[in-house]
Amino acid sequence: MVSRVYRGVLIPLDAENLLMKPLGRMLLIPVMMIALLVPSLAEARIKLITLPVRERVEIQLDHDTATLVEEERVVPLVQGVNQVDFSWANTQIDPSTIVFRVLGPPAPESGDVDTPEVNVLSVTYPPGENALVWQVSSSASTSVTVRISYLIGGLTKGFNYRAVAAYDESTLTLSQYIRVQNFAGEAYDDTEIYAGLGDTFLKPIGVNETKQMLVERFENLPVKKTYTADLHRFGWLDQTQYKLRVPMHYRIENAADAGLGQAALPAGKVRIFQKDSPDGETPGGATTAFLGEDFAPHTPIGNHADLFLGVAQDIVVKRTVEARKDDRLAGNLYDRRVTMKYEIENFKDEAVTLNLAEQIEALRRELGLASGQSAEWVLGEATTMRDGLIIDETNQQQITFAVDLPARNGDEAEKITHTLEIVFKNQW
Amino acid sequence: MKRIVVLFVFLGLLGFLSESSAVAKNIDLSTVPDRDTVQLTIYNSADLTLVRETRKIVFRDGNNPLQFSWANTLIDPTSVQLRFLNHADKLDVLDTTFPHDRPQVLVWNVGSEHAGEATIEISYFTSGVSWSADYTVIANADESAASVEGYVTVSNQSGEDYENAEVRLVVGTINLVEQIAELARNAGRDPSELSRREQNFYQLDAARRSVAMADLLMAESAAVPASPAPKRIVKQGLSEYFIFAIEGTEDIGHNSRKRLASFAADAAPLKVQYRYRPREYGDQLVRLFLMTNDTASDMGVSPLPDGQVRIFRQKDDGTSGGGKGLSFLSRQHVKYIPIGDDLELNLGVDPDVGFELITQRTFRDNIWLQQRGVNVFKRIDEPGVKIHDNSTVAGWDQHWVMTRRIRNDTPRAIEVEIRQAVNGDATFISRLGAERFDNQTVVYGGTLGPGARFDAEYEVVGRHGHNAKQSRVEIVEGDPAPPAWLAEATD
Repeated sequence: MVSRVYRGVLIPLDAENLLMKPLGRMLLIPVMMIALLVPSLAEARIKLITLPVRERVEIQLDHDTATLVEEERVVPLVQGVNQVDFSWANTQIDPSTIVFRVLGPPAPESGDVDTPEVNVLSVTYPPGENALVWQVSSSASTSVTVRISYLIGGLTKGFNYRAVAAYDESTLTLSQYIRVQNFAGEAYDDTEIYAGLGDTFLKPIGVNETKQMLVERFENLPVKKTYTADLHRFGWLDQTQYKLRVPMHYRIENAADAGLGQAALPAGKVRIFQKDSPDGETPGGATTAFLGEDFAPHTPIGNHADLFLGVAQDIVVKRTVEARKDDRLAGNLYDRRVTMKYEIENFKDEAVTLNLAEQIEALRRELGLASGQSAEWVLGEATTMRDGLIIDETNQQQITFAVDLPARNGDEAEKITHTLEIVFKNQW
Repeated sequence: MKRIVVLFVFLGLLGFLSESSAVAKNIDLSTVPDRDTVQLTIYNSADLTLVRETRKIVFRDGNNPLQFSWANTLIDPTSVQLRFLNHADKLDVLDTTFPHDRPQVLVWNVGSEHAGEATIEISYFTSGVSWSADYTVIANADESAASVEGYVTVSNQSGEDYENAEVRLVVGTINLVEQIAELARNAGRDPSELSRREQNFYQLDAARRSVAMADLLMAESAAVPASPAPKRIVKQGLSEYFIFAIEGTEDIGHNSRKRLASFAADAAPLKVQYRYRPREYGDQLVRLFLMTNDTASDMGVSPLPDGQVRIFRQKDDGTSGGGKGLSFLSRQHVKYIPIGDDLELNLGVDPDVGFELITQRTFRDNIWLQQRGVNVFKRIDEPGVKIHDNSTVAGWDQHWVMTRRIRNDTPRAIEVEIRQAVNGDATFISRLGAERFDNQTVVYGGTLGPGARFDAEYEVVGRHGHNAKQSRVEIVEGDPAPPAWLAEATD
């Protein structure tokens, strides 16, 4: 056999081709010392080597920041002490995370063969090399399956979504994709890829390759379209005219009764499309129009994701400070009253509900009322929207009202005026 | 490569022995006695290794020059000592010379009344040899138990190869300086006046004493098993530290790194707890694996030295060939764990367990005003009281009505413990069964089933200004105040 010395061991020439690959290289080399057992690798010069191939690879992407690769190889061992050499080049293996476990005889043999006693005696790290050598003892000459696990850099995942809304925007179909990018410098053939949710994918993934796979598709999810005016979250549309920006969101509930709720939805970009005609009306099916895209945050079970699609310019909300008044209680102690006025017009040809919100501490800062401690507040008598208070979205820091807006009547939109009076109590 | 050499110099051939310089000759003949044994005692609290090596030398009657050299190694030359292990009553070091023209060499002039073989021990300190511990923890799929494997890794950058070396690893922080001082005082010397050479002498002596018991251990563990098995690492407590003695001998070559299994526990009981302790873990709820370094866990034979821990969990989803696949959980450094103490592994925030703090309401009451320039305080809501306009707020109670909302989206029940500081003169009001952890800290918690949500509601009343009389938190069983805006909305 033509061979060549590589790092002090003999390697068959066809294997050398593998070593010379310009990209990542990972080798597992059990060394059978056929002449005599030599305890130290450094002293052993004449060796015969087999190159066990990967029988199986799993890529575990269930951790937020780390990627775990687990590979199984069938390693022939002679009775006595064996050296198993694991080396890598041009890959980002973290050597401090390598775990070597002996699983037992390979599956087809496991019924007939006694499980040998196999022990890892020690690990040595050749100086200046990306390699390590396990000294493994075996009670019999046999083959065993070993599993080698390690963290690797450059192999990352991300999630993204594609949502197609029905023509009437009452439901949508949400497709969840995982995108795996392999810049780790190592190619993995027929790898089981687990993203942390859904099923495992059996796919090859080459070097510098990006692979996108459908994890799950959720049909007919109810979607709620919301319009929100909230100065301190969404800003002005035109400050000189006191007009608030009114973003439109699709709200998707991650709940079982909404068709989801089995797992948290990982953060990711959502591209949203809408069908341009009702189902069944257009021969060949409806086409879709791109509505917009947003980055959905991590959405736990029971929470909702609000996807920003764009600004609703047909809903005009003017916000002004109508009145301020300080009621002296005693000495330098006051109740401070603030009344906000909202003039709202809906130029759409359909009735909508507007969520009108204020961030309490931001409002205090806006009006120069902030102090070191947050203030008790109550609704004042001038408030006209009490019936629309949304309890679930109101707490010490935020108050939210739902305001029903009628559709435009011909050329004219009805102007609806509301006031909100907040009393900050016991201030000085 | 070997750089430490002992030369037995035959000066008799030269027919002349100088009193001042034993080897200042142009023509020398020397023999090179090999090491018979070498023992390394490696401290991990300092870059310090005590090397003790033995060699056999054939002496003749009269003067016997011995040259010891250590070119390109990291030996502390002032620490080198020579001892005779047999025929000590007939052998004596007459003088020690450090030749001015040759660095990293010394020459002992040994006077002998014994003609024949004797065993000598040369001991010295070297730096560049170190060891570290690390651990692999693999929890089972339901996280009720874990396997724990401990390893020690010995690295040698000292410039010298140590073949067939007995290796002992010292666990714990040994304050050699103190031992040196004590030995010096015992010898009637003021430690502060010791010269560097004397300090090294006492340091060597201290280190030598500290490992004396390990000799016995090594003898006990010398029997080599018939079939190859992982080497045992014998652990023995000595004073304030432990010595790990690796069974048999190891080749510790220059530039080498070798890792050996130290212990393995197959199924150490594991407890999972979610903790909110801002002082320890930051302002977040973290998941912890809790184990104990005791015999019930198949551990507890020795302390666990500082080291890196890699934590995995076995998968149970059947996608990995019988559930043997792993999920990576975390990697972290743990500090020294004494026998019987807890091993706490912080896995960080669990995205499947939500934890948020919601301020439901804040308000002030029990407000007292003080007229300027007058030491009189009046409470604002006291009936019939008249408060002068020229008064300012001097004392008040601030109420914080809060909710800690906890969400368990994991498939199993979780145990949650919340420990939070409540500063100043304060009262903590809740139905949570809270207990006092210390003067300003309360602790409460419980178990939350899979898929469950829980709102832990409480009210903190802080007394400020004139109202503050104490500095402590008192715990009161009661209902927090309802949100005022909710009362308004439901009127």
